[in-house]
Amino acid sequence: MANFKTQYEDCLRRVQKPARYIGNEFGSVHKEKTDDMMSFAFCFPDVYEVGMSHLGMKILYHMLNERDDTVCERVFAPWGDMEDEMRGRAIPLLSMESYTPVREFDIVGFTLQYEMSYSNVVNMLDLAGIPLRTSERGAGDPFVCCGGPCAYHAEPLAELVDFFILGEGEEVNNEIMDAYKKWRGSGGSRDDFLLSIVALGGVYVPKFYDVEFNDDNTIKRFEPNRPGVPKRVRKRIILDFDKCYAPEKLIVPFMETVHDRIQLELFRGCIRGCRFCQAGYIYRPVRERGVERLTKIAESCIKNTGYDEMSMTSLSTSDYRNLQELIDSLLELTVDKRINLSLPSLRVDNFSMELMEKVQKVKKSGLTFAPEAGTQRLRDVINKNVVESDLIRTSKIAFGGGYNRIKLYFMLGLPTETYDDVKGIADLAKKVIDEGFFSIPPEERRGRSVSITVSTSFFVPKPFTPFQWEPQNLISEMEDKARFLKENIRSKKIVYNWHNSDISLLEAVFAKGDRRLSEVLITAQKLGCKFDGWSDFFDYDKWLEAFKIHNINPAFYANRRIPYDEILPWDYADIGVPKSFLIKEHKKAYEGRTTPGCREKCSGCGAASFGGGVCFE
Amino acid sequence: MSKRRLMFSKLGMAKYISHLDLLRCFTRSIMRAELPVVYSQGFNPHQKMTFSLPLSVGVTSGCECADIEFRDGIADAEIMERLNASLPPDIRILSVGDPKISANDIFAAEYRVTLLCDDPDGNAARAVDNFFAQPEVAIIKRTKKKGEQEMNLMDFVIGAETPKITDEGIEFYLTLSAGGQKNLKPEIAVEALIKYLRSNRGPDAAGYNIHRIKILYDKNNPKIFK
Repeated sequence: MANFKTQYEDCLRRVQKPARYIGNEFGSVHKEKTDDMMSFAFCFPDVYEVGMSHLGMKILYHMLNERDDTVCERVFAPWGDMEDEMRGRAIPLLSMESYTPVREFDIVGFTLQYEMSYSNVVNMLDLAGIPLRTSERGAGDPFVCCGGPCAYHAEPLAELVDFFILGEGEEVNNEIMDAYKKWRGSGGSRDDFLLSIVALGGVYVPKFYDVEFNDDNTIKRFEPNRPGVPKRVRKRIILDFDKCYAPEKLIVPFMETVHDRIQLELFRGCIRGCRFCQAGYIYRPVRERGVERLTKIAESCIKNTGYDEMSMTSLSTSDYRNLQELIDSLLELTVDKRINLSLPSLRVDNFSMELMEKVQKVKKSGLTFAPEAGTQRLRDVINKNVVESDLIRTSKIAFGGGYNRIKLYFMLGLPTETYDDVKGIADLAKKVIDEGFFSIPPEERRGRSVSITVSTSFFVPKPFTPFQWEPQNLISEMEDKARFLKENIRSKKIVYNWHNSDISLLEAVFAKGDRRLSEVLITAQKLGCKFDGWSDFFDYDKWLEAFKIHNINPAFYANRRIPYDEILPWDYADIGVPKSFLIKEHKKAYEGRTTPGCREKCSGCGAASFGGGVCFE
Repeated sequence: MSKRRLMFSKLGMAKYISHLDLLRCFTRSIMRAELPVVYSQGFNPHQKMTFSLPLSVGVTSGCECADIEFRDGIADAEIMERLNASLPPDIRILSVGDPKISANDIFAAEYRVTLLCDDPDGNAARAVDNFFAQPEVAIIKRTKKKGEQEMNLMDFVIGAETPKITDEGIEFYLTLSAGGQKNLKPEIAVEALIKYLRSNRGPDAAGYNIHRIKILYDKNNPKIFK
């Protein structure tokens, strides 16, 4: 072990950003592991500065380390230069805290935040020297599990992962460790352990299900293959979010991370129900933390980190019921210490300048809004309940208040979209300037000029949303639309950026794919695919080659309209919102009818069956 | 208000922390320690803090220096105690005191260099001595202002002691020009040496460790800066 440390250090001299790999940050937990203890390797399949920005990892890392019987250590994907150095010296993937080979841990858990990190999961398993397929693992090998938003449906990883955790890990992860402890001393088989955690609920073991396919590649049968395994796995959630574990000590990285600040999680879930948004469905129902608890968490985090910024994070932060009261309470903690409060996600319909003034006392640069679609018609289709007049009013307030840059996010390729809707994006951006800025009398304008950044991404149909049956636009259609939009943006004050269409296609394939994609992933990793979310590495041709080798047509997953009665690869996962509700929402989308938010009127989505949260406010 | 001089060590893996990251680390540690630090005026107030003689990434040190302004009423011992409790383990405050000497008077720094290799033929020490006995060794020095420039390494070498062989490798002490007037990063000298040894059939070092031992001021009568 010590040997690896010396060699590992030697690699650091030769790589960019060695601070990614050194660990020993303030707040990191270093425990002596004794034989009777269990070990959990928490793996984030991306680089350090991305992984260390992720709140879920911080929660579960500290939670597991609070157990006396468990050591939890972090693992990140080494960047290409570091990987080359490590492979060159035959150094396996190591944990950050103790430089222990990942393969020596009892449980190796990956968090799946986005589909484009799947190739990194494979690559990290390979680097770790862990047999890639569950069928190749035996006594002495760790259990490989996955959690996080993509784990609700990660059939494409089915052959590689022993079990998936569906939902929130704050309770079930502890139960799994307890079960492991019991199993370890029992002399039982690997399957015995897996069966024991299936009984906990929220645990999906892919090998306990048989999947048969029809000749047309659709699913014929998807059934459990042994007693004691439920047909559907219901997600686990924390019902009382106010009492839920929140770390009060955080690791403070040396290097700058993507979200380099305290993240105060106000609530889980979202009351809105945008029809494209997976998070809006899988995290239901909305559960809030009270002002008092949040203030306490904030106080400890400020004391224990020394950060100069705290962001109030949630899916739609400005929907927090007592936002005004919370901000006042937090400002008492932050003002004297020169800590900035920030609101990451703003909705144009409840934006108030007073709020903005309060939270961003120091830096005034840009604001970001996401109207998502260019016309009211299409916004109604996707249930983004934002009207143009709100956006104009908001921009006017913002420009009048000294902001001079507004970013607008849109999606291209949404269901029912026409070229009029695409042009609507250009028109809307122009109106923000004409009516939002130029309607302010020149003497009242704070800045000389303003700029608008329009960013578009391509719509990716996601499981568990009303659009799960929708086809994605073909790459040629996506590119035509982006070009058309660019031609229609003529103002020099508007900058237009768009996302890569190849990546969006791949994202759709892995979002909606089935377990036959496991072999494609394994082949793709052998061909060198990794860090697909990074343009430095993404290589579309390699992916096409991998699909071809396995005789799989990516269009089958991405570009096909699925009939309602077809068995979906993710039907095993019960998120609490039944298919019947999603079908109803899908039909309403085509009629252009909107659905009100949870607090306006309950739409009966089924999440009330959990027995808590917004459904019982 | 008073400016205090904090001497600290940067050891272990902390040697891979860049200067900018170190600054951020101190800012946050001071916040955690709740020390009464003075902020600059202006649009973006920041803690008043200056580090003399930034250390290269990959080099450890036992004599780093930061001048930080505190509001009155806090004892040096308390600054040291509270900061050590809130700094990451690889960074330790060694002393807190009056900044009597200006960082402008710094002219040199002494390093302990360890070349990671064996000395099978027993002539490593002589080879190192021979290297430093040369009147001229061309090196490339990069600066922001002038870009890449060829220079003579020996213009920067103030002293190089005869090496001794330890369990780790070939160890020797090297004093180089340092400070605002004339400065050389130690790794440039060490890499030139390794190249020389390699091309003169000397030991082939797989790597090296550099540790800054002391900073010197007053050219005519060198004393340890603290």
